[in-house]
Amino acid sequence: MKLLIVEDDKETAAYLKRALSEAGHTVDAAASGRSGLLLAAGEPYDVIILDRMLPEIDGVAILRTIRASGVKTPVLLLTALGGIDDRVEGLEAGGDDYLVKPFAFAELLARVNALARRPPPQEVRTELVVADLKLDLLKHTVSRAGRRIELQPREFQLLEYLLRHAGRVVTRTMLLESVWDFHFDPKTNIVETHMSRLRGKIDRGHACELIHTVRGAGYVLREPD
Amino acid sequence: MFRSSTLRLAALYTAVFALSVVVLGVITVLTTRGALSAQFDARIAAESAALVQEYRSEGLNGVIEAVRERDRTPGAVDYGLQAPAGRPIAGRLAASRAAIGWSVLRGGRGRGEEAIRVLAIDLPDGYRLMVGDDDERIEALEGALVRGFAGAFVGVVVLGVAGGYALNRDVHRRLTAISGTAEAIIDGDLGRRVPVRGSDDDLDRLALTFNRMLDRIAGLMESLKQVSSDIAHDMRTPLTRLRHKLEAGLSAPQERGQALESALADLDSILDTFAGLLRIAQIEGGARRAAFRTSDLSAIGLTVVEAFAPSAEDAQQTLRLEADATAPVVGDPELLTQMLANLVENALRHAGPGADIRVVATLGETAATLSVIDNGPGVPALERERLFDRFYRLERSRSTPGSGLGLALVAAVAKLHGAEVRLIAADPGLEARVTFPAMS
Repeated sequence: MKLLIVEDDKETAAYLKRALSEAGHTVDAAASGRSGLLLAAGEPYDVIILDRMLPEIDGVAILRTIRASGVKTPVLLLTALGGIDDRVEGLEAGGDDYLVKPFAFAELLARVNALARRPPPQEVRTELVVADLKLDLLKHTVSRAGRRIELQPREFQLLEYLLRHAGRVVTRTMLLESVWDFHFDPKTNIVETHMSRLRGKIDRGHACELIHTVRGAGYVLREPD
Repeated sequence: MFRSSTLRLAALYTAVFALSVVVLGVITVLTTRGALSAQFDARIAAESAALVQEYRSEGLNGVIEAVRERDRTPGAVDYGLQAPAGRPIAGRLAASRAAIGWSVLRGGRGRGEEAIRVLAIDLPDGYRLMVGDDDERIEALEGALVRGFAGAFVGVVVLGVAGGYALNRDVHRRLTAISGTAEAIIDGDLGRRVPVRGSDDDLDRLALTFNRMLDRIAGLMESLKQVSSDIAHDMRTPLTRLRHKLEAGLSAPQERGQALESALADLDSILDTFAGLLRIAQIEGGARRAAFRTSDLSAIGLTVVEAFAPSAEDAQQTLRLEADATAPVVGDPELLTQMLANLVENALRHAGPGADIRVVATLGETAATLSVIDNGPGVPALERERLFDRFYRLERSRSTPGSGLGLALVAAVAKLHGAEVRLIAADPGLEARVTFPAMS
């Protein structure tokens, strides 16, 4: 993917550029709001990573400007401000996701991958399918290899999220935010326990597992090799 | 002098009152004179008519007799009767030359320059009758009125100036007290407050509001100071540990990977504590009240219980929800969720294996209550309140993971919502109860 990083701290920018390049992406970096704005408006990027606080023009102002000029590229806001209001303000200005500094690189990578737009499906999807696992969005049913699986409501949401991001790593924080709407970090392993129950129902008794743990990052649901 | 708003106002009021005294005086004098003159003229006309009647019934001698008779009566009006060609016959006005009809004579009675208002009419046979009276009483009354109003005018001006001065001194003294307090605070004496008189007037209420604002600011300063000293004291230990691990990693290359991993875990926990402290400070700052909306404690209870139930089950504990159909409060659902999650985590961590934990959301007569009740070992009464302090941990839980910030955050969220949070012995176990204020 082609990514743009707008970040004024040279070390952070260099580290992110190197790490994202190693992950297989093409990365442009802008050190100021003005050059970031020029690049964002001129080049077609898959995802823009935008620091919230920049010299000259502030990140939210840049975001408003590029959204006003019709650029629909997904934007991940990085911020040192961890307040709830800051998050809301960033999302209202047109941000697609929000990550508070300091963060683990795996978290950033997973979120960038999740944001990248896929070509829109031809018709509205009523069914999410990976291998022999099927989730029916209308009937709210799940089956694997033709056998019906009973899920708790939260397990269903968890599986739906994994299926919608099939093949991409989702982190614990992403799951807490999207499935539970928890914007804080519980000290209890609630994601792990729900995930282990879900895996018990989805993968147990099948030759190949679909849900995998990615160490130090999160989980991924993918087609067997 | 007119830089004082009170004095300016007092001067304006005095001028307005003085002007109204003048206007009122002029109107009173004019109407009084009009009414008295009309009465006066009516009396003279009535006397004239009576004498004309006398002439008709008794003849000239009857009139002469009547005039002489009346001249002797004190307080009566003055009369004059003239024969044709102006020869005086009887009465004090007999020598006067008055034209027919109303006129004013001066010195007609030989008593100086008094003005006399006279009505002269012709009797048959060339006789002329004059009836008149002096304006003395009208003028005396007018004089009294004018003097009275002049006195009132002077009184209003004197009272206005004196009152304005006194009022100004009082207001000035109280405003000086307020600005003095502000100056003292600017100079660093944060304990100073504006003196309150207890009279519940506007300045008193201003002083009370001002003092409440100062209390709030002092509270925020205190919490800021607290956060700084908390960071200084309680972050040093983990930061030292982190440093040691990094040093160990540098000096022993074969253990580097393990040391780095362990250091990263330490760093994450430090950052976690840091974020927790900032969040508490942010909540205590009260900035979140803008996001308040009607939130249902029962729904929040369901979300949290559902999220934590599998973890409880794995620890051989049970987590149940006992909730009314709805328990609405005005608040920030995100913070309320985090508050309940912290209380539930606390119970899960400290109630021990096999514990039964209940989340209870009820809507009482006026207010909603949210409780987390466990049947674990409980907490000694003396330590219960201190649990809400930052970094305070029971001796026996020092070894368990946790930052010691969970309940401090609970206390901050409760305070933001105007709710009361208490730890109550549940015998056995502990109940954490948050009582919300009634919804208005």
